[in-house]
Amino acid sequence: MLQPEHHHDDSPPVVGILAEFDGPVTLKAAATGLRQVGYAKFEAYSPYPVHGLYEVMGRKRTTLPRLVLAGGITGCLVALLLQWWTNAIDYPYWISGKPLFSLPANIPITFELLILLGALAAFGGVMVFCNLPQLYHPIFGCVKFRQSSTDTFFLAVDADDPRFDETATADLLRSLGAESSELYRQPRTVKRIPGMIPATAALVAALALLPPLWIAQVRYARKTSPRIHPILDMDFQPKYLPQQYSPLFKDTRDMRPRVAGAVSVDAIIGHVHLLRGEVDSPPADTFPMPVTSEMMLRGRRRYDIFCTTCHGLAGDGDGITSQLAFEREEPKWVKPLSLHDQPVLGQPVGQLYQTITHGIRTMPSYRSQIPVEDRWAIVLYVRALQRSRNATMDDVPGELKKHLKSIEQSDAGIPNAKP
Amino acid sequence: MPEYPTPNLDNDQVRLVGLPRGTSGVLMLIGLVALAIAVALGWRRDDQLRAFSASYLVNYTFFLSIALGALFFVALQHLVRAGWSVTVRRSAEILATGVVYLAVLFLPILAIMLLGWTSPYFKWLDPQTIADSHLAREKLVYLNLPFFTVRAVFYFLVWGLLARFFFKQSTSQDTSGDPMLTRHMEKAAPVAMILFGLTITFASFDWLMSLEPAWFSTIFGVYFFAGAVVGALAALILLALALQAGGVVRRAITVEHYHDLGKLLLGFVVFWGYIAFSQYMLVWYANIPEETVWYLARQTGPWTWVSVGLLFGHLLIPFLGLLPRVVKRRKMLLGVWATWMLVAHWVDIYWLVMPTFAPRHLPFGLLDICCLAAVGCMFFAGVIRTARRCALIPLKDPRLGESLTFENF
Repeated sequence: MLQPEHHHDDSPPVVGILAEFDGPVTLKAAATGLRQVGYAKFEAYSPYPVHGLYEVMGRKRTTLPRLVLAGGITGCLVALLLQWWTNAIDYPYWISGKPLFSLPANIPITFELLILLGALAAFGGVMVFCNLPQLYHPIFGCVKFRQSSTDTFFLAVDADDPRFDETATADLLRSLGAESSELYRQPRTVKRIPGMIPATAALVAALALLPPLWIAQVRYARKTSPRIHPILDMDFQPKYLPQQYSPLFKDTRDMRPRVAGAVSVDAIIGHVHLLRGEVDSPPADTFPMPVTSEMMLRGRRRYDIFCTTCHGLAGDGDGITSQLAFEREEPKWVKPLSLHDQPVLGQPVGQLYQTITHGIRTMPSYRSQIPVEDRWAIVLYVRALQRSRNATMDDVPGELKKHLKSIEQSDAGIPNAKP
Repeated sequence: MPEYPTPNLDNDQVRLVGLPRGTSGVLMLIGLVALAIAVALGWRRDDQLRAFSASYLVNYTFFLSIALGALFFVALQHLVRAGWSVTVRRSAEILATGVVYLAVLFLPILAIMLLGWTSPYFKWLDPQTIADSHLAREKLVYLNLPFFTVRAVFYFLVWGLLARFFFKQSTSQDTSGDPMLTRHMEKAAPVAMILFGLTITFASFDWLMSLEPAWFSTIFGVYFFAGAVVGALAALILLALALQAGGVVRRAITVEHYHDLGKLLLGFVVFWGYIAFSQYMLVWYANIPEETVWYLARQTGPWTWVSVGLLFGHLLIPFLGLLPRVVKRRKMLLGVWATWMLVAHWVDIYWLVMPTFAPRHLPFGLLDICCLAAVGCMFFAGVIRTARRCALIPLKDPRLGESLTFENF
């Protein structure tokens, strides 16, 4: 179309004029020419970036980089603030002995958020600066414009430009090398988005509010029925609990009564003193086997393996686990009882044996780890430990006396050195 | 693809002129004198060449990293079929061939090791360390002198062949103009990249990481690579500035090329920081003695300040400095930052090597400057010799037109 259309009164208002050029060189020259004449409101379209076009059109450099920088800095600060507040203030939780707020641990999140907000700023900035999303533009009315992203170069002069004149601008564009030019107008019928789309969107948005509202309601309402359990966490396991129904048995009880004729392991062997630490039901005062120095040595080795971690090498309740727990301020930790204080001091050996076998308070049962004889050996060693606290020099055998004396002399300068 | 105008370099000087005839020889002589002074300065009666060995290793690795970074740059341009970089690629090709001269300069290190002119260069040569450390003992299968030497020969063979290959193909295109040569280089680039990645990783394990034989970091090779590319890009920028100041390739290299080199430099500064932190954070978080020992040495005494200095001087400050567009488009500003990065890269290598030799103090002094001058002068003597024999841009590269008219947005 070489001639611009003539304006008819009944046609919709003109939005601008679109001129076609054969290549980037002519496009750039025409843009330069338009700018020299004094046009300001015009846009160029090309299938690929044309160097220098931006400058000859008189456009300022974009402020997008500054926006991205601002986004990045915001991300950096937000990440640091978030981690500082959540980790060090709101929910302080000590992990691996690291400080509550430590930069090395926080760098990855900071870096990621810096990148994320920078990228979002770039994306959002492009959307805003380019007036996107834009579903329709009057320039789409020109059929040729479809080629703007394949092989054709265009200049579009906006009718809002004070110098715009349908004929004069078209002539100017042709003199600047345009192959053709074409007016484009407001569409005759304004196409609207079908009412169903916004209505559906509003409905979906409203429905999307329901789940969070429902969650909020069930979280804060008091009810008598059990709470809803969306994350199972192995809370419901296919196993029998006391007092439950079982189809396996005739009486449908899952708890089985003792089978007729069955006897307990202890009873079979019949050595109640050895196995239960009892003599006629109260805890035994004596050992069920002869006490030997081998047994003492064995007891000491077993004690060092199984007991020292909590009770400490000397039985003061200062084992490494206990020390660590106090250092880490573990809220649930209870210091193990000292073996040198009441009530342990006054307990008969049978009761000590029972404690190892069954556990007591937070101390677990050691029945499965330590064989019966070893448990008794440990009890013997504990007794020795207890005795050592109240020992005098007379209790020490002759050879060791000399040795102790020499240690005492060498430790003379050290406070708290134990003889 | 848009058409590019035929390259027009009629008025441009593309040969290395302006340097007097005997420059290479003089540099070689200065290098040898500096080497002699360094040996004299580094000689200790009790420990023979130990101080010299450490300083020589730092400065040798510094120039080696620049040559290797340049080799990577060349292979990368062919790998991605880059058009913009054609005019600066020849400088990188010439720098990369410097690796052949560096192979010769590796001989002092090997000689000191083989002849035992010092207390053990690497701790794994020390029977006491081996006896004390189970970890080091287990590594003797890999860390032993014969295998070490064989590996070094292999690395130099690979690097030398790759550098010579790219240089030969590219310079022969200057006369023949055969575009198939470009295709050959593009086909070789992926293989070169794989070989390069493996050799630079293991070379950095051998020559830097094994200084502390018990210590290990799988990312160490990447760390050294990141620093090497930073050094090479900074060197390329400074080389281009020097050539243009000397009246050579004034039209061929434009502000757009500087801008892109600056962008790459900024990118690799961040990459270096990313890798350095990745290495640090895992060691810091796991807090296992055999890993933390390496950082402990660098967080003790004066080395603490070098470590902090690297964090700021090699990452944070140059990151902010190189970020603005305008900095990368002003030759002088970019030159300042390239110099800064080159110094920071040297400090980085120094920080990798020296704490092993001097854990309590900073031994920086005249010895290091002499070693820097020795290796630098001999390296550049070789590089200048190569540069004299060819044009300083690939004259008939099929993408030369694209490179000459290249513009950033």
